[in-house]
Amino acid sequence: MNNDVAPPRNLRELFTGFLSIGARSFGGVMPWAYRVMVEERRWISATDFTETVGLCQFLPGPNIGNTSVVLGKRWFGWRGSIVGFCGLVAVPFVWVLGLAAFYSDYASIPLVRAIVIGVGAAGAGLFLGTAIKLGRPLARKPAAWVVVMGCFLAVAVGRVSLLLVVPVAFALALALSKWGKL
Amino acid sequence: MLLELALYFGLLSLISVGGMPSVIPEMQRYVVEVKEWISAADFIQMFAVGQAAPGPNVLISGLIGWKVAGLAGACVALAAMCLPAGVVAYWVADVWERMKDSPWRKVAQRAMAPMVVGLVLSGGFVLATPNNQPDWRLWVIAIASTAAMLSTKLNPLWLLGGGGVLGGLLL
Repeated sequence: MNNDVAPPRNLRELFTGFLSIGARSFGGVMPWAYRVMVEERRWISATDFTETVGLCQFLPGPNIGNTSVVLGKRWFGWRGSIVGFCGLVAVPFVWVLGLAAFYSDYASIPLVRAIVIGVGAAGAGLFLGTAIKLGRPLARKPAAWVVVMGCFLAVAVGRVSLLLVVPVAFALALALSKWGKL
Repeated sequence: MLLELALYFGLLSLISVGGMPSVIPEMQRYVVEVKEWISAADFIQMFAVGQAAPGPNVLISGLIGWKVAGLAGACVALAAMCLPAGVVAYWVADVWERMKDSPWRKVAQRAMAPMVVGLVLSGGFVLATPNNQPDWRLWVIAIASTAAMLSTKLNPLWLLGGGGVLGGLLL
């Protein structure tokens, strides 16, 4: 298909590319990142994109933020990482603070408040949906259920600190995984 | 306060496997329950504003910082949430590439999956249950948007808009 991919030529191109991803990414960044980097600017191939994102999902931190760091480094070293990341968050950061400032002027109106809380609840629903999507491949593995429920009970119900839950759960899951249970 | 915020979010950054949804419950626990810097209602409203803007959802941390300590708080919280994880990504990417054929890579990946599911699930649950007091109306909205997300391919913005409408009617 399109093997004619070429990395951005300079930091400026890198910055504007990520800027346009950030500025347009209403409702989710990944589809826009794909569109800009793979389809519009042809910086990397679709396979490469998927692999890089896969790695970044595994690492801690915001997936797409990590992607900008990893790709920026690949192309321009540490400068690329910083420029890529800043390009990505610049517009959304201004947007979100502007929106919050605007909202705080109206937050005392009950209807406005109700609408915004409704948006928040719908956002919570999107998390639940994401968890279900991610969890489907695990449905037939009892050991995975134990880890999922263990994390849920500890964090959501017991309100145990994540700083404790993550290391313990990861050690347990790693052992289960090593024994071939996951 | 800024220092506390920076240190805590920096620590969270390092354990934020699965991204922001995983650490939302912990952020809420810390800024609402432990520190009492903002209320649970404020928290869900900041979350909503973050969802309605473009960009990576890590920006929610900036908003929480803003609510807690103004513009400086926003910058500090966002940087603290991104920088440590970014440094890890910067170094680990190459190692990970070299481990392509190592069995440990698969083992670790499989171990991570159910953990992320459990944490993201908790994120949704905690957001829909502010103050640990179940409100059936919030749950109706959340479950409606879950169902819509799983059964359609709509841009999530439509689902958030739908949630806003339901919120206006129900709450």
